[in-house]
Amino acid sequence: MYVYRIMLLLVFGGYLLSPLLMSGWSSPGVAWYRPFVIWGVLIALTLWLEQKRKLDER
Amino acid sequence: MSAELANMPLVHLLALGSGYLLVLFLFALAVERGWIGRGLTRHPAVYTLALGVYASAWAIYGSLELTASSGYGYLAYYLGVAGAFLLAPVLLVPIQRMTRTYQLASLADLFAFRFRSRWVGTLITVVSLLAVLPLLALQVQTLGDSIHLLTGSTSPGRWALAFCALSALFAMLFGARHSRLHARHDTLLAVIAFESVVKLGAMLMLGAVALFGVFDGSADLQAWLDGPGQLHQAAISQPDAAHWRTLLLLFFAAALLMPHMFHITFAETLSRRTLLQASWTLPLFLLLMAIPVPLILWAAQAQGHDQAVASAYLAFVLADTPWVGALAFLAGLAAASGTMIIISLALSGMILNHVLLVAHPPEAQPNLYRWLRWLRRALIAAVILGGWLFYRLIGVHHDLTTLGLTAFVGMAQCLPGLLALLYWPGANRKGMVSGLTVGTLVWLAGLWLPLLTGLPALVIVPPGLEGLAGEPTWYVVALVSLAANSLTLILVSLATPTSVGERAAAEACSVDAVIRPKRLPLLAATGADFKRHLARALGDKVAEREVERALTDLGLSPLDGRPYALRRLRDRIQANLSGLMGPSVAQDIVDRYLPYRHGGEEATDDIHFVESRLEAYRSRLTGLARELDGLRRYHRRILARLPVGLCTLGVDDELLMWNDALAELSGIDGTSVVGARRDGLPAPWGELLGRLLAEPGDHLYKQPVELDGTTRYLTLHRAELPADDDLRGGTVILIEDHSELKWLEDELVHAARLASIGQLAAGVAHEIGNPITGISSLAQNLRYDTDDPQLLESAEQIQQLTDRVSRIVSSLVGFAHGGRHVSGSRFTPVAIASVTEEALHLIRLARSGEDVRYRNFCPPDLEVIGDAQRLQQVMINLLSNARDASEPDGAVSIAAERDGDMVLVSVTDEGHGLDAHVRDHLFEPFTTTKPPGEGTGLGLPLVYSIIAEHHGRIEIDSPPPGQARGTRISLWLPTEREDGDTTDEPDSDR
Repeated sequence: MYVYRIMLLLVFGGYLLSPLLMSGWSSPGVAWYRPFVIWGVLIALTLWLEQKRKLDER
Repeated sequence: MSAELANMPLVHLLALGSGYLLVLFLFALAVERGWIGRGLTRHPAVYTLALGVYASAWAIYGSLELTASSGYGYLAYYLGVAGAFLLAPVLLVPIQRMTRTYQLASLADLFAFRFRSRWVGTLITVVSLLAVLPLLALQVQTLGDSIHLLTGSTSPGRWALAFCALSALFAMLFGARHSRLHARHDTLLAVIAFESVVKLGAMLMLGAVALFGVFDGSADLQAWLDGPGQLHQAAISQPDAAHWRTLLLLFFAAALLMPHMFHITFAETLSRRTLLQASWTLPLFLLLMAIPVPLILWAAQAQGHDQAVASAYLAFVLADTPWVGALAFLAGLAAASGTMIIISLALSGMILNHVLLVAHPPEAQPNLYRWLRWLRRALIAAVILGGWLFYRLIGVHHDLTTLGLTAFVGMAQCLPGLLALLYWPGANRKGMVSGLTVGTLVWLAGLWLPLLTGLPALVIVPPGLEGLAGEPTWYVVALVSLAANSLTLILVSLATPTSVGERAAAEACSVDAVIRPKRLPLLAATGADFKRHLARALGDKVAEREVERALTDLGLSPLDGRPYALRRLRDRIQANLSGLMGPSVAQDIVDRYLPYRHGGEEATDDIHFVESRLEAYRSRLTGLARELDGLRRYHRRILARLPVGLCTLGVDDELLMWNDALAELSGIDGTSVVGARRDGLPAPWGELLGRLLAEPGDHLYKQPVELDGTTRYLTLHRAELPADDDLRGGTVILIEDHSELKWLEDELVHAARLASIGQLAAGVAHEIGNPITGISSLAQNLRYDTDDPQLLESAEQIQQLTDRVSRIVSSLVGFAHGGRHVSGSRFTPVAIASVTEEALHLIRLARSGEDVRYRNFCPPDLEVIGDAQRLQQVMINLLSNARDASEPDGAVSIAAERDGDMVLVSVTDEGHGLDAHVRDHLFEPFTTTKPPGEGTGLGLPLVYSIIAEHHGRIEIDSPPPGQARGTRISLWLPTEREDGDTTDEPDSDR
């Protein structure tokens, strides 16, 4: 359940803070792939949490 | 749109599209026929790819359009759904649990189940249909536009209709094969996954063309973006924070609410593990789908082609070669056809269950399954045709973003209801319906009707929110409609009462709620009754199949009449019918034809069911609940493993517990009787427990009960559990097996009787022996004192009679000493053959029975540990009994053999045998089968006591196995000395 709370925090935190992130993406000098890298990191984090949940429920 | 792009002949494009759909048919056929292994078609990746149905034509064309206008704002479409799947454990898994338990195949099913109203299902269906039409039209429009752009065709609508028809045909063939919605369609899932692979592959290739064909890799692209691209970037208006969040919310809602997403996520019965895995695999798929989108836009802008066509279709102008256009067309076709197929399937089910079947319930259709299947097929065609008509009706003047957002804002109207369904048991039907109606009306007036009619949007801005006036219509409508919807739902729910049925359904739907069903008796008493009752609604065949199916699902026997089993069967049938006809119709049928009996008795909680649910929910419990559940399990285990039989009965006499010890004692497994009524328990338990309950006291001692052919003696204790507001009442019963105690008591009484008879016999023998010796001496003297033949004869007779009395007296003395070893010698090895031979020698000396044949089969080397004299006494007794029982010329055989660490000695005759009554009392003193005066009835009791003294045992078979008549006495004597076997030590009671 603790893992679920982390996920909830992640999603709602992301929801509230994402406009801040987005405003910087289109600025000159920012790598075009930056949003995708952040997204990739989020996926990796979810994968990690998923593995942790499996261990937690074993 | 420019016709100068017409770089592909229409025939080629049609051949490409038809060829692709043909490949899809062949692929579906290959899966259907099993040419592709199930290991592959059931792989979790297939599910993730099938969920990729979310990436509709919007993901191919609409995203490009949105990127052109809002830059990275297009990512909201992907991130919204990724967020919903990130929350799979707290959002999707509870919905999946509900849909699976109650066989709910659509959003309308879920709402109708939760809010206990068929009209709620109808309302959700209507809203879904209205919301989905723009999305369907978007799919058709992209097809039409693509055909027009690539071929210059002037009637793209007609060709788009052809592709729609092929998609509908496909959905009818492979999606509506089962009349049951809630079933895993392997073929369909595999095909949608295949389509996802095609669109992903095509998009990645287009992205690669942009990045490496147009630009010279990532660095070159970055240089362009920081240089000439700046101009294009400046033209983009990034969505502000509020718009972005609203977009995210809309797409988040779409992941849960859109009929095609709901269908793949919940109606296709997939494992919980697969769903949880999708929390990262689906975002990964969407990431790969999203990356090429801005690349295509930037490549088109870099080449200056961005003005050639509408921004949505920039992929067509990425390169001059026709295959790039073909690739973009294929990606769009794969996305559009997949979306249309699943939407049509999902919506056809909703319309069927919540509009058609509600309006015309299926009253005993002769072939219900076929009828439902064909209705669904017709509806699939109608839905896709509806999408095409909507596209034709609204014209091609709307951009994809407007169409898409109209659909997503409409569908989001169900979000407040869904969240209330999951997290707020206080929400009621009136609140939900009012909220949904208000929200939908705002949406219809602000977005949907203007789309259809071309009239200006009627946007109602409530007082205090005047700041919204200059904002985009979609944003204002989304905000106002959702706010009005949520507020109305909350206020009306708080202001109006909630029905009992709704409250029960709310508990069933709430996350982490434990369902507390009530125990109510049913009118139907067996599975056969169920079939008969249901046949009136469904027809004989369907009723039989549905009841059989539910029985198989539950692993129950059709003869199981336990109230608990019948209640589960009813629930299962309702769930299965819900999968077939939706929850409203299913509930109607079950309520009408399988009603509860209302006898005035108060319904109590179904504890057994609650417990079985708790067992299943264990992994979901946390914190205090988990600790309490651990305690519950511990206490339950104590009761289950108690080494004394225990059962509990509810106040309605229903059996709630049957522990392991009782299962072992009774030979009845707990699972087969728990939930049964006390009077329905197998004999003798129903009657026995009834007797205890009727008893004024709380105990019944040593009740004889026939179990497995033997009589056992059970002691029962009872304790009442008084019911009050918080605690459930009932009776707890302890059952102890006192059979061994009873046998020991009987043995003790028997031994005491033998001992007192022995003392009596010794006294009698002593008192009679002396006068008899005197009489015998006097009679002998008389023979010498007279020659009178008459007197001599009398003396002879006196002598004979005193001899007889002496024999009786000596028997009595023998019996009195029986079991008491008088010689004081230790046991020694004794050859059975010599003992039997000597006994035979003595027997043969007797005058009677000379014509009986004796056969001694004892091996000479077989030895036992014992007292030779006393064993000889045993053999003489047995052989003389056998001789007396034998007919003239009869045979008596003696045999001996080793039997483990004992020696079995048997004496078998072919005589008249024994009555069962006599056999049971043969070892009791004075029991004899001989004529009066010939037997004392002390021989066999003496044998018994001597054998017991030797630690052996004795058995009687009359007639022996394999013989028509006769008797066999079998003796088991030990071959080894036991520790402490010193029988010369005086017994304390001697």
